[in-house]
Amino acid sequence: MTALRVLTVDDSRTILAMLHHTLSNAGFEVLQAEDGQQGLDVLKTQTVDVVITDINMPIMDGIEFIKNVRATGNHQSLPILILTTETSQDKRDQGKAAGGTGWIVKPFDPEKLISVIHRVVH
Amino acid sequence: MSDLDDFKATYFDECSELLTELEEQFVAIEAGERDADRLNAVFRAIHSVKGGAGAFGFSALVGFAHAYETLLDYVRDGRIELTDEVVTLCIRANDIVTDHVAAARSGEALPADYGMDEKNRFDALARGDAAEDDTAGEPDEEFDIEFVPVMVNIGGNDDDFPEIDDTFEALPMAGESGHWEVHFTPHRALYARANDPLLLFRELAVLGEMTTKAVLEEIPPLSDFEPFAVYCSWEITLVSETLTEAMIREVFEFVEGDCDIAIAQLGVGTPPTAEVKAALVHPATPSAPAMAPINLLELADDEVAHLLEFDIEPAAPAKAKADVAPAAVAVVEAKADDAPGLSFADIADSIKPAPVAKVALAPKVVITPAATPETAPGEEGERRSLGVQSIRVDLDKVDRVVNMVGELVITQSMLTQQMDETLRTRYTELVRGLEVLAQTTRGLQDSVMAIRAQPVKSVFSRMPRLVRELGLKTAKKIKLETVGENTEIDKTVIEQLSDPLTHMIRNSADHGIESPEKRLAAGKPETGTIRLSAEQAGGNILIIVEDDGAGINRDRVLQVARDKGIVAPDITPTEEQIDQLIFAPGFSTAEAVSDLSGRGVGMDVVLSNIKKIGGSVHVRSWTGRGTRMTLRLPLTLAVLDVMLVKVGDSPYVVPLSSIVETIQCSRANFERVPSGGQVLQVRGEYVQVIDLAQRFAMTTTTEPENRFVVLCEAEGSAKVALIVDDIIGQQQVVIKSLEENFERVEGIAGGTILGDGNVALIVDVQSLKTSIIHKNAA
Repeated sequence: MTALRVLTVDDSRTILAMLHHTLSNAGFEVLQAEDGQQGLDVLKTQTVDVVITDINMPIMDGIEFIKNVRATGNHQSLPILILTTETSQDKRDQGKAAGGTGWIVKPFDPEKLISVIHRVVH
Repeated sequence: MSDLDDFKATYFDECSELLTELEEQFVAIEAGERDADRLNAVFRAIHSVKGGAGAFGFSALVGFAHAYETLLDYVRDGRIELTDEVVTLCIRANDIVTDHVAAARSGEALPADYGMDEKNRFDALARGDAAEDDTAGEPDEEFDIEFVPVMVNIGGNDDDFPEIDDTFEALPMAGESGHWEVHFTPHRALYARANDPLLLFRELAVLGEMTTKAVLEEIPPLSDFEPFAVYCSWEITLVSETLTEAMIREVFEFVEGDCDIAIAQLGVGTPPTAEVKAALVHPATPSAPAMAPINLLELADDEVAHLLEFDIEPAAPAKAKADVAPAAVAVVEAKADDAPGLSFADIADSIKPAPVAKVALAPKVVITPAATPETAPGEEGERRSLGVQSIRVDLDKVDRVVNMVGELVITQSMLTQQMDETLRTRYTELVRGLEVLAQTTRGLQDSVMAIRAQPVKSVFSRMPRLVRELGLKTAKKIKLETVGENTEIDKTVIEQLSDPLTHMIRNSADHGIESPEKRLAAGKPETGTIRLSAEQAGGNILIIVEDDGAGINRDRVLQVARDKGIVAPDITPTEEQIDQLIFAPGFSTAEAVSDLSGRGVGMDVVLSNIKKIGGSVHVRSWTGRGTRMTLRLPLTLAVLDVMLVKVGDSPYVVPLSSIVETIQCSRANFERVPSGGQVLQVRGEYVQVIDLAQRFAMTTTTEPENRFVVLCEAEGSAKVALIVDDIIGQQQVVIKSLEENFERVEGIAGGTILGDGNVALIVDVQSLKTSIIHKNAA
């Protein structure tokens, strides 16, 4: 039984740290990236079971990131969760249109986060 | 709660950076650079401030940042023109955000109406230009209620975040017949977003007794079949007493819009949401019993979230229950407005008395942000004193300082050494000055080292998972105890610690801890314990990995070592020496190969890794009772206290930490042993003698009786006597790696450059001692 690997993408160190804390305590292996471009770079060399990404980020935002991931050969079935403070349906629709699997509203509740991950991971 | 405090510290650091960036951006914007990149950067900065603030419940900050963010969003997409007036307003807003952050950090409360004027202007601007986009009803309330601060509970500390008990389950719940039917028809593109019907079923199955029937009529002939499209639909029945429509809907949350779902309850007339909704209305009525808001809050949090398919968490600590209850209800209206297509209409229908409730609630909505600050400052105030300020510095810069301080310390000690007696008596002021300098440089050195020091927690925290996995893999029951996680060591040492520790723990789990049956048979608790501890001992840090397993199988270890030629047949090592053999290069028992194969490493890697950072490893084992491995690590890597000695004509240094005493050879009590070697008798103890000149193939011209014995203590109290030609004195040196600059030399730990520019080699006492066995074996 190997640990699930989660790639977390967020430009806020606070959020990355909190995600890391929550996820590693729950037994996940956590990879981090600070923007979409870094996230793509990580995915080039690492395999992960699920991605959690912020929307508003410098260099490459979350929507672009998701589009790019989906456009790459073998990531069609990689669950991507959007972590966002955006409560508007509009942003969610954008995220979904880009290929996002689901969403988590910031600030997140640790237990909820874990259960949402389990909901989308094969 | 230290975790939360850590995160807060990180957050405030980040805020400082973001606010500095904001300021820089606005300097450029004021100067007329108003391109999209800048506006995006500004937006992101405020967005990040808001995001973190929400996590920690800084609701005043969240409220203001949210209004500001909305304005920036409109500016960004051109709905509001970025006039000079707007820029001025923004710069003022930055100051207000800064004040809010400062207030959150110190725990002081700002006046409730602080920044209200600016906020109203944002709202006015946003309303004025964006009215046609905003169908979301009362704009005045919008900003107050849309973003409800939710505190994050990390680590589940009950004092700060009281658990909310499940009282809502006791409330009358609709749908007691519990028979539900779900028609689930995915759209073709369901898979495109990595959603999978099977996962949904897996989750549904948890809710109750489930039967599914796949409808396959839509499946096209193979020629038209698209492999990534969904053609099936499903009819699902779920049976559970406690099931609600909301619970079912929640499962489909992420696929909404990608499928058609029809949910129906069999054999029940009333829609399941009706009673829940009716209950929700109660808290608004003043006559509600005192306990009611509490129960209803919980109901509200949970049920409202389910009903509206939003992830709303318990909105605030329970101590704020009375205030929050109406707020939670208010969320219903706010969320429903900007979540079109959700079931708000259904809900409204199901509660005909709703208009009354709405009227009663609307005014209270406004107090939500004001109510929460009343609870927040108290909590913040307690933590104020704990707030640690920090800045981020490039590690290179710190290293440069560390190196220069190292050189400074050495220059200082060199100066002190050059003061001879005549100078001393002649220049007393200079001597005093030098003494002060010595003290100051020491203090400086300590302070610089403290900058690089980090708690070992960062490494220790990775180990529980490893132990868990090892337990599963080896089918053993193992628990890990950690002690002294806050012990601080140099950052570089910490970085090098992870691999060796992993190996040691792996070793303990693989070879140390026995299977549960064996343990029970041996009268030990079924669950084995691995204890990981860190402590400071003088200038060293000790990291100890201890297990209560079977101990090292010495017969087997010795056998393997002899087979592999690590120990010569005619040598009989002591028990302790046998234990250390597991670190010998090339030693690996059969079990070790099977366990660690694929990784291609054994315990010798631990030793070489630890040596690289100037540490040493020692293992002790008690048969049947367990094994203890001790890592001794230097507090710092930069500067070493040494004794400068002469071997032949060359200077060598011996780490002061390993020296016990020095003895003149003429007074030393040597005795010959039959093998031709020498031993030294010190206080009734016989100690192995190594002549460094001989060992390093130097020629010595010093008369034997004028030479010195440096008695050193290696790991595990094993002593060794080194014979040198002269003792020059004590000083500090900066360690330079021989491996990096030259090559690895057996018996030498590194090199250093002395004050006069000469190179001196650092003697590695531990490896000299252990090489005795090898040498004799060869």
